[in-house]
Amino acid sequence: MTDTLWSLIAAPWALEPDTLLGAALLALLAALLGEVVWRRLRWPRLLGYSAVGTLIALSGAGASGHEPALRLAIDGALALLLFEAGARLNLRWLVRNPWLLATSLAEAAMAAGAVWLVLRSLAVAAEVAAPLAIIAASVSPAVLQRVVGELRASGQVTERLLALAALNTLFAVLGLKLFSAGLLLSDPGTWLVALSPVLFSFCGSILLGAALGEGLALIARRFDLRNDNAMVLLLASILLALVVAKTLQLSALLVPLLAGIWLRNRSERPWVWPRHFGSAGGVLVLVLFVAVASAPRLDTLGATLGIAVALVLARAAAKALAVLLLARPSGLGLGQALCLGSALLPMSATAWVMALEFSLRHPAAGAQLMPVLLSCLALLELSAPLVVMASLRAAGEVDVQTRSGTA
Amino acid sequence: MSLDAFAPSKAFTLGVELELQIVNRHDYDLAPGAADLLRLTTRRKLAADVKPEITSSMIELSTGICQGHHDVIHQLLEVRDALVEDAARLNLRLCGGGTHAFQDWSHRRIFDTPRFRQVSELYGYLSKQFTVFGQHVHIGCSGPDEALWLLHAMSRFVPHVIALSASSPFVQGTDTGFQSARLNSVFAFPLSGRAPFALTWREFGVYFDKMRRTGVVESMKDFYWDIRPKPEFGTIEVRVMDTPLTVERAAAIAAYLQCVARWLLLEKPFQPVEDDYLAYTYNRFQACRFGLDGIVVDPLTAEHRPLRDLIAQTLDVIQPHAIELGAQAGLAQLHEALTAPHGSDAVWLRSAQAHEQFLPEVVRQQCLRFEGG
Repeated sequence: MTDTLWSLIAAPWALEPDTLLGAALLALLAALLGEVVWRRLRWPRLLGYSAVGTLIALSGAGASGHEPALRLAIDGALALLLFEAGARLNLRWLVRNPWLLATSLAEAAMAAGAVWLVLRSLAVAAEVAAPLAIIAASVSPAVLQRVVGELRASGQVTERLLALAALNTLFAVLGLKLFSAGLLLSDPGTWLVALSPVLFSFCGSILLGAALGEGLALIARRFDLRNDNAMVLLLASILLALVVAKTLQLSALLVPLLAGIWLRNRSERPWVWPRHFGSAGGVLVLVLFVAVASAPRLDTLGATLGIAVALVLARAAAKALAVLLLARPSGLGLGQALCLGSALLPMSATAWVMALEFSLRHPAAGAQLMPVLLSCLALLELSAPLVVMASLRAAGEVDVQTRSGTA
Repeated sequence: MSLDAFAPSKAFTLGVELELQIVNRHDYDLAPGAADLLRLTTRRKLAADVKPEITSSMIELSTGICQGHHDVIHQLLEVRDALVEDAARLNLRLCGGGTHAFQDWSHRRIFDTPRFRQVSELYGYLSKQFTVFGQHVHIGCSGPDEALWLLHAMSRFVPHVIALSASSPFVQGTDTGFQSARLNSVFAFPLSGRAPFALTWREFGVYFDKMRRTGVVESMKDFYWDIRPKPEFGTIEVRVMDTPLTVERAAAIAAYLQCVARWLLLEKPFQPVEDDYLAYTYNRFQACRFGLDGIVVDPLTAEHRPLRDLIAQTLDVIQPHAIELGAQAGLAQLHEALTAPHGSDAVWLRSAQAHEQFLPEVVRQQCLRFEGG
């Protein structure tokens, strides 16, 4: 971290992604490209950010996820997006419409199951296939938040899409933690050492998430959330919770997601805040999408592409099938179910961070898992947002103004 | 198409239509859920009917032909409970109120049917700004001339029901100062306001044919009058009310109109004349702006009187008819509303906002009130 900062001062003209010059140019390029795709094609700006990331990946200078300063920005941006995702998840809805809960459980379980079967049939080792299957159950709330926000989509498909993504991300994060613990526990020599930190992380994340949610509710009650100053309070609280989570080695994904869920469900009072907490959050989100798209490695892409394609197809088919099967009892039309099923596609930052954290604990399995996951990201980084956009348009849930003219 | 023949109906039967707001449970903005809600609701057997309206965040429910207040409230409660339950499955919520407090009209989507698209093309932004929610009450008439007589005699009571139903103080996030700001939107339409003074169906037919020849109108649907005849139902339709915050209030207002109609037609306490309309728009404005506190003018005696007093006086006069029609329970609610501190829905909404300082929360409380919780 100090090295990176020092390089900004000592060598201002060094052209690397993590120098001031490099970062500034990348931000400029990403913001410009984002605007171009929005104005010309009415595509979400996030595609511009991801395109810049893809260019970096092609140049071989992509992020590994271990750069300290960058990782902080990624965790910060993800925390904001996951908090927002959680804050859209109305648990009472699942009680009022149990078929939606069934859809959620089915689509997550069937996706994980299908991916497991496909990977095993392609002779992927069980300790690699299992975490990949768990990660594949999740759909990126970050990408969905962004696409839905930019297109100002609203309606039944949009609502369910956001709810399902928040839920399957929750399932995947918890599932991976359990699996990770199980892997360690199955080694008889380490079980005592392994159990306590896992339990600690598990309960700690839930407690910290609830505490953060409660804190944010207090801020939201006392301040006008449409005001910039209140926004800084919210942003700082989330980042502070992130620091605490990191220090105590809690899940940086779980804490903000749970905080959002807590805030949404502790009372029925509505909360309204600017998307991604205004412009500061917007910058973090831009960095996140550039970084994630830059992560795939060209050198391992060839070897893992076949497996990645199989994984993505199995996952997409399983999710779509689950949604279609339960469409009628859950109160969804067939056309809407097709749109929802196909929109459950993005895999992005959350999957990457889950894989990074898993690899840290299980370096051997991680070394085999990471190339496959990065190939999946490469496949989906640009295509998935477009599929989501097309699905929402087909469902008739996109604001007319974002379809033509310059809004 | 010339003017339809007037299909006579049983006198003093009534029907109620309510346009409802569909909102999301996240920030309580309007939500495009009409098609989803209809898909679920058509699976049920209900006495009342549920239909789409021009924008996809609005749904209209209408009772069948009712004999009186008891019928109306029974049907409204049944359909309300069904809709509320279906909306909950879709993570949506329903509420009354003449306007949505903070929606941005430019974001509304037009419900996709040929007629709605045609209206939308003709009126442009007006049709989206027309995202307002009203209550319509049909009163059955035994013949066309009787219907037109009643239509014009009723004009004096238009301010009464505006004030009793007023529930649209907020428009696009600001307090308009009005109790019913919704009617200001309706006024923007070229064929809104009062009906032409014609007391016989033959006279009315002449007017209609002249209008149709100009090409301005094709059918009765193109008139957005405050009260209009509905020949195919054999009714007159009173259209000035905001959708009240509760179905109970909606049923009470319908009962009020039914009793007034019976009193007018059976006792003929006065003869409607063109001069009744001298102060019509002024009185209407008073009712919209100040609600029950409005001061209206009698065009013939030039007397200025508070609406609250006039309504109380009318409630007394129609009491015998209320007994005949079984409407006492409904009228008693209105009597109470005249003196209660939050008697008008608009006042209730303003005090909720004064307490919360947050319109999305006001809309949520509006939903609770509609649900009867």
